[in-house]
Amino acid sequence: MTAYNSTMILAILPEILLLVLGVLVLLFDVVWKGEKRRALGWLTAGGTALISIVTLLIGRPGEPQSVFGGMLRFDWLGFAFKQIFLLGAIATALFMMDIEKLSRRGQAYALLLTATLGMSLMASAADLVMLYLAIETTSIPLYVLAGFLLDDDRSAEAGFKYLLFGAMTSAVLLYGFSLLYGFTGTTSLTSFVGSLPLALGLVFLIVVGLGFKISAVPFHFWAPDTYEGSPTPVAGFLSTASKAAGFAVLLRLFLTAFPQFVEQWAAVLAVLATVTMTVGNLLALAQKNIKRLLAYSSIAHAGYILIGVVAASKLGVASVIFYLIAYLLTNLAAFGIAAAFGRAAGSDEIASYAGLSRRSPGLAFAMLVAFLSLAGMPPFGGFIAKVLVFTAAVETGWVWLAVVGVVNSIIGLYYYLTVLKVVYLYRMEGENEEQYPIPLTRPYALALTTLSIAILVIGVLFAPWFDSASLAALNLF
Amino acid sequence: MLLEYIAIGVLLFLATAVAAIAIFLGELFGPKRKSDKKAQPYESGMLPIGPGTRRMPVRFYLIAVLFILFDIEIVFFLPWAVVFRQLGLFGLIEMIIFIGILLVGYIYAWKKGALEWE
Amino acid sequence: MMAGTLPISYYLGLSALLFTLGVLGVLIRRNALVIFMSVELMLNAGNLAFVAFARMYDMLNGQIFVFFVMAVAAAEVAVGLALIVAIFKTKRSIDVDQMNSLKG
Repeated sequence: MTAYNSTMILAILPEILLLVLGVLVLLFDVVWKGEKRRALGWLTAGGTALISIVTLLIGRPGEPQSVFGGMLRFDWLGFAFKQIFLLGAIATALFMMDIEKLSRRGQAYALLLTATLGMSLMASAADLVMLYLAIETTSIPLYVLAGFLLDDDRSAEAGFKYLLFGAMTSAVLLYGFSLLYGFTGTTSLTSFVGSLPLALGLVFLIVVGLGFKISAVPFHFWAPDTYEGSPTPVAGFLSTASKAAGFAVLLRLFLTAFPQFVEQWAAVLAVLATVTMTVGNLLALAQKNIKRLLAYSSIAHAGYILIGVVAASKLGVASVIFYLIAYLLTNLAAFGIAAAFGRAAGSDEIASYAGLSRRSPGLAFAMLVAFLSLAGMPPFGGFIAKVLVFTAAVETGWVWLAVVGVVNSIIGLYYYLTVLKVVYLYRMEGENEEQYPIPLTRPYALALTTLSIAILVIGVLFAPWFDSASLAALNLF
Repeated sequence: MLLEYIAIGVLLFLATAVAAIAIFLGELFGPKRKSDKKAQPYESGMLPIGPGTRRMPVRFYLIAVLFILFDIEIVFFLPWAVVFRQLGLFGLIEMIIFIGILLVGYIYAWKKGALEWE
Repeated sequence: MMAGTLPISYYLGLSALLFTLGVLGVLIRRNALVIFMSVELMLNAGNLAFVAFARMYDMLNGQIFVFFVMAVAAAEVAVGLALIVAIFKTKRSIDVDQMNSLKG
């Protein structure tokens, strides 16, 4: 029997700490009463921040190695993704703190932490058993969170639709895994031996399962409904961390299990990327609700990120990781703004954002930063991210895909600017906007300020972040 | 190579046959005098009111779901118990942690009143 | 493979059949509960294939996989039923075509 050693503990340090934190949150939820429970949000956010710092200090991987009998890989790729998820969880916990019916219920935070734990395992799983289990550990808490406001039938419906799509695609994924196991005789993610048609069939089944997680067209139908109906911070978490986890698996699975069929699956993913970008952007043009707009925009972004996966080079993988970091910061900020506005104004319609620049200049400015970054404008993070994925595509000969991406970015620019036009140029009809301020509570102010600064920082000082992403990318080649 | 299954097939056939013969013989030789009294579900008892399939209170569902969730975790004890000796102390500690986490969930459900009937 | 067992193709055929039935059920039926059962059918198709392959390779990891899938399926059903109950309370129906509060 394999004896345990300290590397094994280090490899799952963030997971262990997340579990401890989740248990603590549940216990405090039982002990604390009433108003005091709001502190659970601070506990979750602070605890997660602490976990991130601790793992950065003592949990760093050395040479990539397999631990727990090959169940997990302990490498920079997983480490980088884990930090991304932790960051997403911190911001989401802060945003959740002032949502009615969500903030004072410990299980919401415990579910958030469990989902984060699942994502961490997804990023480092190197075995089909572990991978499936991690995907479900992520999905099931998220189903609950999406349908958390059971009295609100829109939330329950959002949760149910998410669950239905999720359960079905995960069943397809499981069937793909069972065949993969059958044809290789092992559950570990080693190179697949077998014929081309077989590999393509398996790739198809796996793409269905993961396409759902990253909300790529045509597996995107759940996304707009779920984002609209679920609590706004949860929608933000779904669109960022959950999507990043899907990409982590996509990269590891395709580059370690099917490297010899790279031409074929890259072609499949290239088509998927094209359709995803185009459909996402075109449908976003017609949206009237900010959460639905962000949903379609997040679908389009999944398409841009797929371009980096298609490139399947070191630069491609690095650009995917960098894009995910920039996108996580930006989209979390966007959903955070929608949450802050929605709870004060009671509406998610884009039209109701008229006059926001006078009602709350700070919020409007944060929105400017986030939306320009989503649109891919310099000097924000989204610009560098887009440049990197397009460069990776051109470098590996996917020029047409890069062109499609650029054209789509221009379409995207249009609807992002339309929203900003409402925020900055439109006025509330016959009212004095100063009389309707949007109050920002402390958690929101803290999270939104930090995110906005971070978006600017990675847009201007991108070199250190890109170097880390490149280091992580090396582990796959 | 289905020969090994023949014993099971024979058993299946015999069991079905014995049961069928018993019922058939009872039908054949038993006296049959039908009356309204005999058609009642409970002779000399209360007459049932309303249809037999009713909606169950949703409380049953909550208890059932909690039961399933804790019950299904038992499957993980099975493989652990088989190799218990080889795993040694490390395996025991891991299982204690596993049960500990389950226990926290149980306490949570309990304190939140999920087990209260009213 | 040991003598006296069925060839693996039988199991795989049954598994593929179950999976197809499950997919059809999900796509065609409109009752949320029936859709759920169909998803379970799909999961069990995967389980059957796993167990059959585990037997073929004479390895246990396929069977271990099934343990985990069972636990996961139970959790998924618990969440799904809770949501169905919540939806039924307001809509008095579990027809998925009636779930149209969210549109656009």
